[in-house]
Amino acid sequence: MKIRTVLILAAVATALAAISFWVGQSAYGWMPPQASAESILVDRLFSFLVTVGTFIFLGVFVTLAYAVLFQQAGRYDSSDGPHIEGNVTLEIVWTAIPLALVLWIAVYSFQIYDQMSILGPMEHVHMGMATAEAAPVVQGSADSDADVPIEVLARQWTWEFRYPGQNVSSTELHLPSNQRATLLLKSEDVIHGFFIPAFRIKQDVIPNEEITFEFTPIREGKYRLRDSQYSGTYFAAMQADVVVESSDAYREWLTSAAKKPPVVAYNEAFEDYRQISEKGGSAGWVTVPPAEPPLVNYSGSPLTRE
Amino acid sequence: MSTTNLDSSLTDEAVLQASGHDEPDNRMFGFIVFLLSESVIFLSFFVGYIVYKTAATDWLPLGVEGLDVREPAINTVVLVSSSFVIYFAERYLHANNIWGFRIFWLLTMAMGSYFLYGQAVEWSGLEFGITDGLFGGTFYLLTGFHGLHVLTGVLLQLIMLGRSFIPGNYDGGEFGVAATSLFWHFVDVIWIVLFLLIYIWQ
Amino acid sequence: MTNVLVDETSNNLNQPGEPESWRRFFSFSTDHKVIGIQYIVTAFFFFLVGGIFAMVIRGELITPEADLVDRTVYNAMFTLHGTVMLFLWTFPVLSGLANYLVPLMIGARDMAFPRLNAVAFWMVPIFGVVLMGSFLAPGGPSQAGWWAYPPVSLQNPSGALINGQFLWLLAVALSGVSSIMGAVNIVTTIVRMRAPGMTFFKMPIFVWAVMSAQIIQLFGLPALTAGAVMLLFDLSLGTSFFDPLKGGDPILFQHFFWFYSHPAVYVIILPIFGIFSELFPVYARKPLFGYKVVAISSLIIVGLSAVVWVHHMFASGTPGWMRMLFMFSTMLIAVPTGIKVFAWVATIWGGKLRLTSAMLFALGGLIMFVFAGITGIMLAAVPVDIHVNNTYFVVGHFHYVIYGATVMGVYAALYHWFPKMTGRMYNEGLGKLHFVLTFIGANLNFFPMHPLGLEGMPRRVASYDPEFAFWNVIASLGAFLLGISTLPFILNMVGSWIQGEKAPNNPWRAIGIEWLVSSPPSHENFEVLPVVVASPYGYGKSDPLVSNADDLEVAHEHH
Repeated sequence: MKIRTVLILAAVATALAAISFWVGQSAYGWMPPQASAESILVDRLFSFLVTVGTFIFLGVFVTLAYAVLFQQAGRYDSSDGPHIEGNVTLEIVWTAIPLALVLWIAVYSFQIYDQMSILGPMEHVHMGMATAEAAPVVQGSADSDADVPIEVLARQWTWEFRYPGQNVSSTELHLPSNQRATLLLKSEDVIHGFFIPAFRIKQDVIPNEEITFEFTPIREGKYRLRDSQYSGTYFAAMQADVVVESSDAYREWLTSAAKKPPVVAYNEAFEDYRQISEKGGSAGWVTVPPAEPPLVNYSGSPLTRE
Repeated sequence: MSTTNLDSSLTDEAVLQASGHDEPDNRMFGFIVFLLSESVIFLSFFVGYIVYKTAATDWLPLGVEGLDVREPAINTVVLVSSSFVIYFAERYLHANNIWGFRIFWLLTMAMGSYFLYGQAVEWSGLEFGITDGLFGGTFYLLTGFHGLHVLTGVLLQLIMLGRSFIPGNYDGGEFGVAATSLFWHFVDVIWIVLFLLIYIWQ
Repeated sequence: MTNVLVDETSNNLNQPGEPESWRRFFSFSTDHKVIGIQYIVTAFFFFLVGGIFAMVIRGELITPEADLVDRTVYNAMFTLHGTVMLFLWTFPVLSGLANYLVPLMIGARDMAFPRLNAVAFWMVPIFGVVLMGSFLAPGGPSQAGWWAYPPVSLQNPSGALINGQFLWLLAVALSGVSSIMGAVNIVTTIVRMRAPGMTFFKMPIFVWAVMSAQIIQLFGLPALTAGAVMLLFDLSLGTSFFDPLKGGDPILFQHFFWFYSHPAVYVIILPIFGIFSELFPVYARKPLFGYKVVAISSLIIVGLSAVVWVHHMFASGTPGWMRMLFMFSTMLIAVPTGIKVFAWVATIWGGKLRLTSAMLFALGGLIMFVFAGITGIMLAAVPVDIHVNNTYFVVGHFHYVIYGATVMGVYAALYHWFPKMTGRMYNEGLGKLHFVLTFIGANLNFFPMHPLGLEGMPRRVASYDPEFAFWNVIASLGAFLLGISTLPFILNMVGSWIQGEKAPNNPWRAIGIEWLVSSPPSHENFEVLPVVVASPYGYGKSDPLVSNADDLEVAHEHH
C-alpha cells in the first residue's frame, strides 16, 4: 500500500477512535443514576461496548458513505468495475480481528459478571451441576437482621414486601444504603420479573420456586421497581417504589411501620378493574381478575414520583 | 441449435437426469429429509421426558408402583420383528414375486395392528391418566404420539397393498413401498428408544 | 418465429413470455413462479395487517396512560403484531422469494415437488384465517405475547375450550407444517436439481443462503412443535407439563421455544444476506468479494445458531455456568456475520455504483443491520443483558434487524426482480420516495427504543411512567411515517404491474441464469437446461455464464 493511503487510513482511524471514545464516555449519561454497586460495573462494561461498537459502526458507515458519494458510475458509463474476487490476506485479517475482539469482549464481560455476584444459589433444575455460587461482597453490616432475607411476593398485579425479622409488610421496598440487600423472590401465580433499572438488576420470579437474590444499593433516593416479564392484563401497572435510605432512617421506618395496623394497600390494577366493573364492563375482553390487594403495614401511595 | 454435437449430447443426458420433478431419487431424498426432521420432534419429547424424570422428587403418582414390562416387551418383539418381515416383503417385490410381497406385507400389517391393539389394552388397564402428574402426561404423550405414527404406518401399508393390485403400478419405480418401509423402520427405532426410556429405565 | 436471445447483456426488448393471466394467481397452480408471487402478495397483505396492529400499539404509546384501547385489546395487539409479522409476513415472503428465484437461479424447470409446493402455500391463507378468526373466540385472541409463555398462556380467563390461545396454537402448528413442507422441497431442489455444471461452489449466494435457512427450519421447527403440543395439552387437556402449580416446569417451555425461535431469526436474516450478496455485485459492477468464504459462513451460522438460544433466558433463572456458556457462543456468531458485512463493503468499494431503488434499500438495510449487530453484541454480554432484557432496548435491536435489514432487504429484492417477475419496469421516482420515507421512518421509530430501554422502560407495556414520554412520541411519529411509506410502494407495484413499461430480459445487465430468459420467464423456464461454465458474479470479465445461452429461451408458446 502507498504511504499516502496508510497515512489517510491512520488519520481516519484516529478520528473515528476519538469520536468513539467520546460517545463511549457519554454513554454513562444514557443510563439511570448509579444507585447500586452493580450499576458501576455494568455501566463500565456498557461504555466499553459502546466505544467499540461506535468505532466499528462508523468504520463501516464512513467507508460506505465514501463509496456512495464518490464512486458512483458515470452517467453513460456502462462498463464494469475491476474484477476483484477476493484477497486472502484481507480476509484472514478481518476474521482474526473480530475473533480476537469477540474473545476480549467475552472475557471482560465474564469478569464483570463475576464481580457482580448478585445471585445466590438457586433451586432451579440444572441436571445436578453446580450453579455459579456468588460470594457476597463483604462490607460492614450494621443491621443485625441483615441476614434474614426480605421476602418479595409477586402476584397479578402487585408487589408485596415482607420483613420477617420485624414483622413488617409493605408495598414499598425500603432498603438501607451501602448494605448488601438479600431478597427472597416468590410468585403466587405466573412468572413475573423483578427489575429495578437504577440498580441494573433483574431476575424473573418463578412460581413454585424461592429465588435468593442479592445486590448492594449505594445511593439514597427513590427508584422504581417494574415487572419486566409480561404477566397478563395489568402487567404495565405492576410497579412499586424502592426507597434507599440511611441505616438510621431505615430502622426508623421499620419500627414505625411495625406499629401501624394493616391497611388495604393501594393497587392500581385492582382499582382500575374495580372502576371498570362498576361501569358495567370493559371495552375489551374478559381478563383474569386482579388479586386482592395485600393487607400491609405500609402502603405505597399512587402518585409517588418526586 | 447452434451447439456442437458434444454439447448437445451433454445437454440431453443432463436434461434427462436433471429434469425430473418426481424422480424416485428426488422423492426418496425428500422423504429422508422429512424423516430426519420428524425425528427431532421425538428427540424433543425424549429430552423433555429425561429432564422431568431426573428432576422430579415424586415421579410416580400416588398408588402407582411402576409399569408392567412383560406385555410391552412382547409388543416390542412383535414390532421389531415386523421390521424384518417388511424387509422380506420388499425383497419379494424386487424379485417380482408379487404374491410373496403381498403375503409378507399383510403379515407386517397384522403385526403392526397387534402392536396397536396391545397398546390399547395396556392403556385401558392403567390406573393413571394423562393428567396424573408429569409421569402420566409424558407417558401418554410419548406412547400416544408414537402410536399415531404406527397407525399412520399401517394405513400407508394398506394403501400400498391396495395399489399393488393396480396393473402397471410399479412401472415408475417402487417409491411408495420403499418409503412406507423406511417409515416403518423409523417408527421401530423410535419405539426401541421409547421402550428403553419408559419401561426399562424405571 | 422463435424468440432467441442473442446477447445476454443486450437491451433488445425481447418479446416477453406472455404474462400470466390474473386468474392463475388465484388458482392451485403448481408453477413455482406463480406460487412464489402468491406467497409474496399474501404475505404483503398480512404485513399491512400486522402494520395496523403496530399503529394501534404506537397510538397507545404516544401517551403514558392506557387511554386508547382497553388493556386486554392492547395485549392482543402486541401478541398478534409479533405473530402475524413472523408467521404470516416474514416467513411467507421469504418463502415466496425463494420459491420464485431458486429454480431459475439453479437452472431447473421447477421445484422438486410442485404439488407439495402448492399445498404448502395454500396453508398460509388458511392459518391466516384461523389466526384472524381468534378475534371472535371467547376471551378474544391470544394475549400472552408471541412467545406464549406459560403460565400466562394457560390462564384462559374465559374458560372456553376453543379460546384465542387454542386457535393461536393451531395456527402456529399449521404454519410449522407448511414450513416443513417448504423446507423439504427447497433443500431437495437445491441438492438434487442444479443444472449441469453448477457445482455447489458455482451456486449464487442467495441459493446458499436459502438452503442454509431451510436446514435450520428442518431441525429447529420440530422442537417448537413439541413444545407447542405440550402447551396445547396443558391448555386443553389439563396436563401439567408447564404448569408450576401442578409440578410442571415453565422454564422447560422456554427452552423448547427458544431452541427453535433463536435459529428462526437466522432463517429470517440469511435469505436477506443472500439478497445483499446478489444485489451489491450488480449495482457496483464488481464480483462478490470472497465468494467461497461468504458461502461457507452461512453454514457456520447454521451450526452456531443451534447453540445460542439461552441468551433469551439470561434473566429466567438459568444458572451462572449456562449464562456464560451461551454468552460465549452468542458472541462467537458475530464472527461469520461480520465476515459477510466486510465482504459486502469490499464488494462495493471501488466499484461503479448505481443508486437504484434496489441498491438504496440494500445499502440502507446493510447500515441498519450493522447497527443492530452492535446492539446485539451488547445484548450478548450478560451483565448488560440483565439490565436491558425485556426492555425496549431489545425491541429496538430486533426491529433494526427485522425492519431495517429484513423488510428493507425484501423491498430491495422486490424492486430488483420486479421486472423479471412481472415483465414491467417499476417507477424509479416512487421507488426512491419509498426509500426515503422508509429509512427515515424506521430510524425515527426504532432508534428511540434504545434510550428507552436503557432508562428502564419494559417492553409489552400499555402504559408507562411519564419520564418516558419524549422518546415514545418520536417513536410513534416514526411509526406513522412508516405506515405512510407503504403507500408509494403499493401504488408503484400495482400501477407498474398494470401499465409499466415493458421490461427487457435483463434490465440491470446482471449476471445470473434468471436474466438469460424472458421477463417474465415462460412456464417451464427453459427450452433446454442451461449448462453452467463459469462462477457467478463474473463482473469485469466477459466470460459467459452458460455455454448455451442462445438455446434457453422457450420457443413461442401459447397459453
